[in-house]
Amino acid sequence: MVRRIEKAAVIGSGIMGGGIAALLADAGVETLLFDIVPFNLTDEEKKDPKARYRIVQAGFDNMMKAKPALIMDKSNASRISLCNLEDDFDKLKDCDLIVEVVVENLKIKQELFQKIDKIRKPTAVVTSNTSGLPLKEMSKNCSDAFKEHFMGTHFFNPVRYMHLLELIPGEKTKKEVLDFIAEFGEKRLGKGIVWAKDTPNFIGNRIGVHEIMTVMQLLESEGITIDEVDAIMGPAMGRPKTAVFKLSDMVGLDTIHHLAENSYELLKNDERRDVYKVPAWFNKMIENKWLGDKTKQGFYKKEKTADGKKLSLVLDPAKLEYREAAKPEFESVSAAKKLPTAAEKIKAIVWGNDKAAKFAWKLSALGAIYAANRIPEIADSIVEIDNAMTWGYNLELGPFQAWDAIGVKESVERMEKEGMKVPENVKKMLASGATSFYKVENGKEFYYDLVNGGYKEIKKSAAAISLFNLKGAGKEIKKNESVSLIDLGDDVFCIEFHTKMNAINGQIVDFIADATDFVLKNGAGIVIGNQAGGMPGAFSAGGDLAYMGSLAKEKKWSEIDKFIANVHAGLMKAKYAPIPVVAAPYGMTLGGGCEVCLNADRIVAHSELYMGLVEIGAGLLPGGLGMLNLWKKYIKSVPKAAKITDLAGLFLPCFMAVAQAQVTMSAFEAQKKGFLTAKDRVVFNRDLLIGEAKKEVLRMIDEGYAPPKKEKFVVIGREAMGMVEAEMLNMRIGMYITPHMEFIAKKIAFVMSGGDVPSGTEITEEQWMKQEREAFVELWQTENTQKMAAHILQTGKPLFI
Amino acid sequence: MRDAYIVQAVRTPGCRRGKGAFAQTRPEDLLVTALQGLMERAKVDKKVVEDVMVGCAFPEAEQGLNVGRIAALMAGFPIDTCGATVNRFCSSGLEAIAIQAMRIQAGWADVAIGGGLESMSIVPMGGNMPRPHPYWAKQKPDVYISMGITAENVANRYKITRQQQDEFGYHSQMKAAEAQKNKMFDEIVPTKAVKYVPQPDGTLKKEEFIQDFDDGVRPDTTLEGLAKLKPAFAAFGSVTAGNSSQTTDGAAAALIMSEEACRKYGVKPLVKIVAYTVAGVEPDEMGVGPAYAIPKLLKMTGKDMKDIGLFEINEAFASQAIYCAQQLGIADPKEWTVDSKTRRINVNGGAIALGHPLGCTGAKLAAQLVNMMVKKGVKYGVESMCIGGGMGAAALFELVEKW
Repeated sequence: MVRRIEKAAVIGSGIMGGGIAALLADAGVETLLFDIVPFNLTDEEKKDPKARYRIVQAGFDNMMKAKPALIMDKSNASRISLCNLEDDFDKLKDCDLIVEVVVENLKIKQELFQKIDKIRKPTAVVTSNTSGLPLKEMSKNCSDAFKEHFMGTHFFNPVRYMHLLELIPGEKTKKEVLDFIAEFGEKRLGKGIVWAKDTPNFIGNRIGVHEIMTVMQLLESEGITIDEVDAIMGPAMGRPKTAVFKLSDMVGLDTIHHLAENSYELLKNDERRDVYKVPAWFNKMIENKWLGDKTKQGFYKKEKTADGKKLSLVLDPAKLEYREAAKPEFESVSAAKKLPTAAEKIKAIVWGNDKAAKFAWKLSALGAIYAANRIPEIADSIVEIDNAMTWGYNLELGPFQAWDAIGVKESVERMEKEGMKVPENVKKMLASGATSFYKVENGKEFYYDLVNGGYKEIKKSAAAISLFNLKGAGKEIKKNESVSLIDLGDDVFCIEFHTKMNAINGQIVDFIADATDFVLKNGAGIVIGNQAGGMPGAFSAGGDLAYMGSLAKEKKWSEIDKFIANVHAGLMKAKYAPIPVVAAPYGMTLGGGCEVCLNADRIVAHSELYMGLVEIGAGLLPGGLGMLNLWKKYIKSVPKAAKITDLAGLFLPCFMAVAQAQVTMSAFEAQKKGFLTAKDRVVFNRDLLIGEAKKEVLRMIDEGYAPPKKEKFVVIGREAMGMVEAEMLNMRIGMYITPHMEFIAKKIAFVMSGGDVPSGTEITEEQWMKQEREAFVELWQTENTQKMAAHILQTGKPLFI
Repeated sequence: MRDAYIVQAVRTPGCRRGKGAFAQTRPEDLLVTALQGLMERAKVDKKVVEDVMVGCAFPEAEQGLNVGRIAALMAGFPIDTCGATVNRFCSSGLEAIAIQAMRIQAGWADVAIGGGLESMSIVPMGGNMPRPHPYWAKQKPDVYISMGITAENVANRYKITRQQQDEFGYHSQMKAAEAQKNKMFDEIVPTKAVKYVPQPDGTLKKEEFIQDFDDGVRPDTTLEGLAKLKPAFAAFGSVTAGNSSQTTDGAAAALIMSEEACRKYGVKPLVKIVAYTVAGVEPDEMGVGPAYAIPKLLKMTGKDMKDIGLFEINEAFASQAIYCAQQLGIADPKEWTVDSKTRRINVNGGAIALGHPLGCTGAKLAAQLVNMMVKKGVKYGVESMCIGGGMGAAALFELVEKW
């Protein structure tokens, strides 16, 4: 039997339900979004469809309005139909996947599943997005056939952005169903799959809530404040800025309260059950409806003083009063922030001597011990727990990875000295001679199996390629400090940038040309991609301004000209080489990074793609043929048989994209803006991106790849300048543009128009490149461009002059 | 020189661009309705009309290919009736009336139609393919300037405040609402229009209907509401959607005859077309046009401001309308507010409420003015407007009291 999800239903239109429906719609699945008919309708309203669909409509509207956006492209929402559970319940019988996301009430869920059991089609998979209730209980009154198709799919909020998807097998779920949903989740929805067990709060929230409740306990015993905790447990410990309490305010304190109570209730044998006993002051907060961001006050509260100044207040739990939040500083934290990696930061803090260090140690130690004790209770391996915490809570290192960073042996000694009970399985590991939870050998990653002992290889999806592992296995053919060439196998080679934010510098430019030569001799095709990680991460945040800035300072204009000529030559070589070049962008793909992609023969992009030609913010125009390639994508989208009457209709969006430094908010938006064409692909799972790009190269070769032919192309010419000059007057008087930005915008327009030729003229690439180079140098020659470039280098923000 | 008379003047309603009743109706069809309605009301045989001249600000695409000739034939005029299109942007409709009047005055014709047409829904402002001259645009782009920016310039240079503009806009809406309530717009011809309505099965159904009122009037306008609107053209500007004219679709036409023709066909004329003139001003503050064109007109005809009983001064923007009223000495609230019974300016509201269908406006305002002159027995009426590119136009009409 071939399983396929053509139609899905999401029952419950709250923040999670709406987010799941949006993701399904983005992934191309027809989705029915359900919610209840309001309870309190008048007799008249009961006949009014508007009233009957009020709740699901509101849920849908909230999803569409959410910021950051939950749906990648609003037009994808046409795949979502709104339903209510009374009038449309029958429609569930056509669904291949039914995801339950209703209120966390066991009885309601049980009744819902019994009803679904009666009408679902025999192959339909039914899942619950519960964050803590036992699956076994929920499905207990259902048929065996239902149970065979029933499992947990636990998404994290916000669904679009959080990589984690916990899958929980039910007691009777068929393996084939589990495999199918795992593949669907990984490939179509792009999630990182973690296998959890049917235990309360599963993995992420079990570990996460334990930590929050531990912190609450430590507030008193360690005499530490809420804002102090957040100052320690943020980026300095390899975690998001929201740290502990700001995150809690975002999640909703009622949710955390519920999870804690649920844990206390259900985890009767947990060695730290007492930590889940909600402190009285926290109960009081819930009573007061201080639920966090949604009620505008929680652990933090924002206020405006009489004179309009914004005040950030923080709760003093002992008094249940707010006071002005401080910006606590600790020596250990400040020192750690200067270190390059999360592992070094964590190690530095935990082994420090101040109050912050003591707290960080205690919390880390208690967390690590708790996590080790959870194996095999909640997961079979440490990998699942670390993945859950890195993907679901955006920690840079999960508890075991952090433990490795701290040093397992040393920390165990300290734990014992301080009277903490070290888990037996960890003691056994140390006794066996293994001193870390993870190790890399010959490019392969291994984890320590706490259940059976010994190291095991980490199994990744077959489609996933790890550049890190390939490098470890000696597949790095060439390298310098900025960029590497890695053999992906099957004669496909990957050009991997590894500068800060993967900014493109002179070394990379030269390397691309050399690598092309190498692959021409020794290979079949090229992937340009990297796996720098981060959220959303940066394929490449742009060109390295420092180099050209220093040339400009010394007025070495001919060298800038030469550099750009060199860039153009390299790009042209790659473009017309008889081998396919596929770019694999993700996250921030800006400026030069965007230009590299636009020059590739094809793009295989991650769905989270923040792409744009943003050079104007640095006082420049794109100097790497980004404009040429964007313009060509536009004119080539119209068949030659059709006469383009209005070239301005194509010119204006191209010009505006560059002059306004527009950045796409998803790969779908990049399609709309013409950065991606119909041939380019969108991949939802970033971990699979390099693998998919490699497949694309092989497919292109298999289909008989021939390079594009070199030919003249049509431009709008001088007519564009008439329009732009006229419009700039309006923008100037309307105070929408500053003088130097106007100057740059006109240069952009000139290059994008193809120059001073009549509309419809066909020009050569050489003419375009000459004009682009000249305009680029002319900009550098202005003092204002030098100022703008220096400003963005120093501050990361554009200077509007 | 002979005299030329308007014997009948009509208009379609003005309906909002994009969202209004005419958004999906071909512009020629609007003009056909105006021409047919005109001839029915005048009770004159179509075959005696020698020429139809139509003002249009963007005579291209659906409004191109000499829409004056095409619409005349579509409206059932014989092949002997000729047709032409004329463009002077916002005075085009009045220009067409003036050209036909001059023909008659010169003795070159006896019966002619002057009218105007603009579907701003179908042919966008600026045209489908605006192409400013690249070198001139670099040297002196003001001739291509956005109309909203000219309104900002007028407001800034002559200190017309946001509050003044909003008040003026409010009164325009109130006057129009009152006029609609009191059924003052006799010059409107109920107009056949079409819309394409989505059906439950996903298809579109073409539906015909009759539209007989201006659909941009907002009786519920408040000063507070207007004050909340964001500037539409400049980051820190004062010109908003609420104190600017509405962009609308519409057509209008006037039947013009010599005295001999009136007697021959037994028609009593309504007004005499006394004079028409244009005046040039700086393109980047084109809104001041009427402040120059009206004095020029009065001087030409030996008239004084106090001789004029009614003014139709096109409200392209409140800022320029206020400035012109100030310069003409008629800025006192009693001249333009809804509470004033003796008001002379835009007595039934102006383009802020009723819309400004560019090339149609000259003929549309003529129809409104003639209708009110006859209704109220006003001896002299002046129509005027500012014109993109930096001009003003003005015309003087005299009521025919004895015939």
